[in-house]
Amino acid sequence: MTHETAWHRVREQLGDVRKVEILVGIPTFNNAPTVEHVVKTIVAGLGKSFPHASVLVVNSDAGSQDATPEAVKQAVAKSIPTALVQHLAGGFHPGPFSLHTLSESGVPGREQAFRAFFRITEELQAKACVVVDANVRSVTPDWMEFLLQPVIEKSADFVAPLFRRPRYEGSLTNSIVYPLSRALYGKRIRCQSGGGYGFSRKLSSLYLSKDVWEGEAARFGIDTWLTSVAVAEGQEVCQAFLGAKIQDSKLSGVDLSMVLAQAVGAVFHYMEEYQDVWEDKKGSSPVPLFGAPYEQATETVTINVERLVNGFRHGLRDLLPIWEIILAPETLAGILPLGLLDVDEFHFPMPLWVQTVYDCALAYHEKVLHREHLLKSLTPLYLGRTASLVLETRQGGPKEVEGAIETLCETFESMKPYLTQRWRFQ
Amino acid sequence: MSDMWQEAMVEAFRETTKRIALFLPKLLALHTFLVLGLAAGWLIKFLMLRILKALHFDPLCERLGLALALAKAGMNQPASHLVRRLSFWVVFLLFAFMGINALDLPATANLMSVIIGFLPHVLAAVVLLLFGLLLANFFAEAALIAAVNAQIQEARLISNLIRWGILIFTAAMVLTQLGIAKEIVVAAFSITFGGIVLALAIALGLGGRNIARDLLERRLRQKKVEEDEMSHI
Repeated sequence: MTHETAWHRVREQLGDVRKVEILVGIPTFNNAPTVEHVVKTIVAGLGKSFPHASVLVVNSDAGSQDATPEAVKQAVAKSIPTALVQHLAGGFHPGPFSLHTLSESGVPGREQAFRAFFRITEELQAKACVVVDANVRSVTPDWMEFLLQPVIEKSADFVAPLFRRPRYEGSLTNSIVYPLSRALYGKRIRCQSGGGYGFSRKLSSLYLSKDVWEGEAARFGIDTWLTSVAVAEGQEVCQAFLGAKIQDSKLSGVDLSMVLAQAVGAVFHYMEEYQDVWEDKKGSSPVPLFGAPYEQATETVTINVERLVNGFRHGLRDLLPIWEIILAPETLAGILPLGLLDVDEFHFPMPLWVQTVYDCALAYHEKVLHREHLLKSLTPLYLGRTASLVLETRQGGPKEVEGAIETLCETFESMKPYLTQRWRFQ
Repeated sequence: MSDMWQEAMVEAFRETTKRIALFLPKLLALHTFLVLGLAAGWLIKFLMLRILKALHFDPLCERLGLALALAKAGMNQPASHLVRRLSFWVVFLLFAFMGINALDLPATANLMSVIIGFLPHVLAAVVLLLFGLLLANFFAEAALIAAVNAQIQEARLISNLIRWGILIFTAAMVLTQLGIAKEIVVAAFSITFGGIVLALAIALGLGGRNIARDLLERRLRQKKVEEDEMSHI
């Protein structure tokens, strides 16, 4: 189903409704065990924070086999109009790449659902659109206030989620996506993906008008580029602290290199498109934070450092010819001795890591190698950096980890000339 | 006797002179064709230099992995250099064959028609070869990266097996296209390929059954034990 067809389906189901103030989008795929709780919580939150607002709930389902849409319908109070649409992965004509893009929520063709939500927001002239994943058990009624109020009352265009996550969780985001995006566009937005988002109508229309839904850009997971486009386009962005994130299913069983290729590929892709925006940006500034006061996680996850280091060594042994093409000789010269270090002594210096990421971005820009191969060959290097981060902060608490992430971001910012000098003239 | 000898000598001299007189213009034509071939070859080479530069041919080959494949085959010059040399020799050989045809020798009477008839096969073989090289390089690289990321120790072996499998398959197709020992090539390829698969199946099924089971068990158990709880994104 295309976003146009989705809109017509919704139109048919709406009857007299011509305009709403808030659109609630719920993308689903076999979420029957959790969706009822999520929808009831959303409805309670709307009743508490926006009791007089006209609301439309739209469920875009990717073809659930467990009666998820019916569960949504039952969970929504009768007073709130609800529309159900179905989207197929890959759009109207599901092709061989239908399931190519991944999403944190595990909903195939998630971008199609978002596209439909943005289209409906535009058509019904909604002030704000909030999208909540149906597999998040930790959703609370306050989420509606935190995600919608900045848009409705503070003129924000994009409300990104910020969760309290156990130490080292989201390490790919914290090692590459967040520091790189921050250094590029100068906004300290944590780039956490999934859970819930808030959008203004202006931004919804902007997303719809951008060439992001088809072609090369569409190959990347939507969660990464939602933030990249909003920040690069100079929209009013903010973050909402939504507490802990407990979800029904993670991206378990999915190849790490695929996740890395999609997340990092999206940032690299938009670097080319927004070259004029980021080239002259220096430093970074914080974005407004809404919600409960941000607290750092005390929990930690089990990490086998030896396995991470072995992954790095394995890459060094077998992928060296590929790294020789991608990385600058001085970067490679810094990486080679790391293979000789013992696990306990392993240390991947931050400046070297920043140089590595910048070299990869330059190689992506120069198309020196097939782009998917390039991105995936970064995986062992990422494992090495993650192992180093764990070893550096193992004895400390959450503050030390946050401190290390902040130092990394500052290193990305201070070394940005390394990237800009080579970007145009390499 | 003396008259006959004299007549034979004169006749032979006349005949030879006549033949030489007839052959010399043809020889001159051959030389002319060779000189023209050289000139046309150089011109084409020069034009190709400009065209390939305008098309950014070398960066494209690097991106597609062709440059790497050529380097591995011992050719350290850029791919455009190879194409330019090839175009020079194709043009030069065409002119040379025209020259040889102009000699009108019985042995080379049908040379041009044979060559022109064979040319499509050669072109198809060259395209097949290039395509095979590209495919071999692409899939070998993809397999290497995937295997390394899956932390499979035999990553390079898997990658090389894929590379050589595709290259052998390509070589068989190229030889078949050129019509060189067609039946032998098909039979040899079928026997080799089938043999390898059968050997692997038997080796795994009989000889390495226990090893394979242990390996799989160890890998699966290890994965369960060692799997990190960390969510990367």
